[in-house]
Amino acid sequence: MDKTLLIQLGGSLAGVVLLVALAAWLGVARPTPPLDTEAARALLAIEFPDHRPDAVWIAADGAGLIARDGTLALVLYRRGDGYVARDLPWSMIVALKPTNGRLKVRLADARPVFAVSDDAWPPKELA
Amino acid sequence: MQKAAFDPVQMAIPFFVLAVILEILLGRFARAKANYETRDTAMSLSMGFGSTVAGVLFGGVIFAATVWVWRHRIFTIPMTAVWAWVVLFLAEDLTYYWFHRLSHERRFWWASHVNHHTSTHYNLTTALRQTWTGGVAGTWLLWLPLTFLGFPPAMVAIQKGISLIYQFWIHTEVIRRMPPWFEAVFNTPSHHRVHHARNARYLDANYAGILIIWDRLFGTFIPEVDEEPCRYGTVKNLGNFNLLYNVFHEWIGIAKDIASSKSTREALGYVFGPPGWSPDGSRDTSHTLKAKWRARLAAASPAEGEEKAP
Repeated sequence: MDKTLLIQLGGSLAGVVLLVALAAWLGVARPTPPLDTEAARALLAIEFPDHRPDAVWIAADGAGLIARDGTLALVLYRRGDGYVARDLPWSMIVALKPTNGRLKVRLADARPVFAVSDDAWPPKELA
Repeated sequence: MQKAAFDPVQMAIPFFVLAVILEILLGRFARAKANYETRDTAMSLSMGFGSTVAGVLFGGVIFAATVWVWRHRIFTIPMTAVWAWVVLFLAEDLTYYWFHRLSHERRFWWASHVNHHTSTHYNLTTALRQTWTGGVAGTWLLWLPLTFLGFPPAMVAIQKGISLIYQFWIHTEVIRRMPPWFEAVFNTPSHHRVHHARNARYLDANYAGILIIWDRLFGTFIPEVDEEPCRYGTVKNLGNFNLLYNVFHEWIGIAKDIASSKSTREALGYVFGPPGWSPDGSRDTSHTLKAKWRARLAAASPAEGEEKAP
């Protein structure tokens, strides 16, 4: 590798580090307050417009929700300053066991953790 | 004639850095809409850095192929002629349109391009979220006919660089609309926001590089409407902030689908069909998502549905 290229790459890397630090310091992320019933319904309507959930459970910290639509579980969890939506068979969700107030959901590309107020699962909202 | 005397993109890097700093500050001091999330920014910039490295690794192959085509060219177009630059500007931009359309409408090329679209933000760092696997996807082949026609490789490389630089500034929410005449002819932040949106209404639209006229001409233009703000990212947003997952997830998805295919036809469908294609239609493509959206719109208000659906 020639010297010029190395200098260019080194400079670019330093630029990346500088800009990420600046974004962390001064960047303004989208506000993501804890979900309430209204916000949860609105989010579900956007992410799952063809579903009409029978029941919705909001995580204790408001950072995610699980809704039930028949045999399907509609899962939404916070990632950064946005939400990720996934659907799973309801049977998978109902078979989970929370420990120490945390419910871990196994997805293909993530392991979101939902805060539960006690370790009873499924909660009364989804029972 | 074969190698560009200068690289416009390299020259523009200081401008990119300053523009990002300015955008962050505008967002911080509430002068404009500009959201930055640290891990999202880190991923965008790391993708940009990695694509430079990938470009170095794959550049030799592309350069060798380009030189070979140049040696077999039909004409020799002078690099000093103004008309040649005008023709190349249009030809390169048209090439970009079709490259970009292919990169969205066929999964093999989407696998390489998808990581440009995985940010749920739309800021100037999103522009730098470039692919690492473009060399493998082979979309660079689409530019070779220009060299075969007789445009010197250096000229094509410079014009490609100019196009890339142009497309940097349109990745922003700071600018709402440009003057109407400009919006009519050029790709703008508004047009490109639509391109990055995951709303069903906006899917598979506005593939332009510099000139939006190609979308208007080929029927892929969709205007941004104030009543439906753009939501950014992919239809199925990434579940994590893992850089390598972002780079390779669609390639891995293709490999898994091929492994589970029951026939060659199925395998080819998974690779070259539209993103979301499946043999039984159980997955959503842009086409089915739009059809469902139109149906919802029509159900909500039949007359309105017909009138509003693009």
